[in-house]
Amino acid sequence: MKQIQMTKNPSFSLISTNKIIQLNDVWTSYDSKTFALEGIDMSIDRGTNYAIVGKSGSGKSTLLKLLNGMMIPSKGTIKVDYVTPNMNDKKFKKMMHTIGYIPQSLGLVKNITVLDNILIGALPRLNKLQSLLKQFPESEIKEAKRLIELVGLDGKETRKAYMLSGGEKRRVAIARALMQKPTILLADEIVSELDHVTAREIMDLIVDAQKKMNLTAIMVHHDIQLALEYANRVAVIKEGQKILEIGVEGDNIVDFQTGDMTNAEIMEMHFDDSKK
Amino acid sequence: MTPKNNIVIGIIVALLVIASYNIDANPLDFAEGIPNLAIILEEMIAVEPKYIPTALWAMFETIQMAFIGTVVGVVIALPLSMLAARNLNSKFVYAPIRALLAAIRTFPSILWAILFVIMVGLGPFAGVLAVIMYTVGFVAKLQYESIEAIDSDPVDAVSSIGVSKWQLIRCVVIPESAPHLLSQILYMFDYNVRQTSILGLVGAGGIGFYIINYIKFFEYGKAAIFMLVVLVAVLIIDWVSVKIRDKFIMKTQHGMEVTTK
Repeated sequence: MKQIQMTKNPSFSLISTNKIIQLNDVWTSYDSKTFALEGIDMSIDRGTNYAIVGKSGSGKSTLLKLLNGMMIPSKGTIKVDYVTPNMNDKKFKKMMHTIGYIPQSLGLVKNITVLDNILIGALPRLNKLQSLLKQFPESEIKEAKRLIELVGLDGKETRKAYMLSGGEKRRVAIARALMQKPTILLADEIVSELDHVTAREIMDLIVDAQKKMNLTAIMVHHDIQLALEYANRVAVIKEGQKILEIGVEGDNIVDFQTGDMTNAEIMEMHFDDSKK
Repeated sequence: MTPKNNIVIGIIVALLVIASYNIDANPLDFAEGIPNLAIILEEMIAVEPKYIPTALWAMFETIQMAFIGTVVGVVIALPLSMLAARNLNSKFVYAPIRALLAAIRTFPSILWAILFVIMVGLGPFAGVLAVIMYTVGFVAKLQYESIEAIDSDPVDAVSSIGVSKWQLIRCVVIPESAPHLLSQILYMFDYNVRQTSILGLVGAGGIGFYIINYIKFFEYGKAAIFMLVVLVAVLIIDWVSVKIRDKFIMKTQHGMEVTTK
């Protein structure tokens, strides 16, 4: 890893009004005894590329599921674009299409083609008759084909999803999420199983799309180096708690949580912790 | 072998003996009856080939009955299976539908055939209705079980887009459970052809009508022709469904295996 200078965060005390995601003292538990997340506070600016890093079982995936309303916290408040996420709530359900979610498993429909998988992202825009007949307007098909090209799957649109390689499947999942025309993109460890080169290709793709579409991307990573390379901010989660929030500004790493300078050795320790 | 196992085996054997005594199942009767089988076989060997066209026509009628029964039954069963799947509906929807399907399955198709003969009169139509009922009960059960067994990942991922339940069914549930469905339809058609062959016993049309009548009048040679035609037809259908299965189903499963790494 390159030598990184620590500095005090200059803008720490400023309160931004452009927070797209806010979590206040969020606790979750799968049973009543153990907590998956313990008192998480987080606020994310619009257009940020935000990374969440931590070991397996640290609660990173839970955090993403809270943001897209698939889980609700046992305590604390969450606001996504000023709405409390809960997939059973009508108000939130109406805005769910603006949140692109790529789970670790990708969630592709195996027996349908690449094009059909990507078109799923346009489903919320169909009217009742169109969805009854599964009839997509010409403009949506054109958009899906444009995205196929964008993610580098030209000529594979009629390929069934189960026939694709791991990298190609991730491209389809990204295209499906972009097809939603989202404002937020959530991705759960989608590059961790890929080789170095493919992982970076996929990350470049997401960062490009994120900049062009002014997306707020929140990506869970296993590898802190990859996270620091691509994200503006990195939160390190350990045993359900956010132990560090850092950002990269040029060659400097800034600790946003305390505003203090962080000891390089402590940082290294966190990195090692979060790797495996 | 533990003492506990011995006790269990002892109980099963005791129950077997008691049940056989109760229903008067005597192995000696079976042994004594073997010569009778030889007489029937001897008479059956004296087949009368001039009945072959009639037998073929009756078999064709039977296959048509099974075909209509299978197609209409599956069409009715599919929406019911969507409603009966626990991963798609609340308890208040799936519980009554499951109870209804269980009630339909309680009766074998021959009992349904008797009921429909009373309702619509003798003939193939009563048989078709019976096949439909049985197919609905059976395919709906097989199908809701395969819907419940589909991979939850795409369901969760697509649900998080905010799609309607119908869109989820149309774009995820149906494509994911379709390979099972094809296999179930083939199995059901195969089964229905064999079922329909005996529905004639209660006057519900098909080739069974001829078989039962010739047996009643001890004309085993004529009955044998019809039974032979059923055998050949079932073998052909079996062979064709194996071919279709290989072509469409094996391929998808093979593809999945390759990608499960």
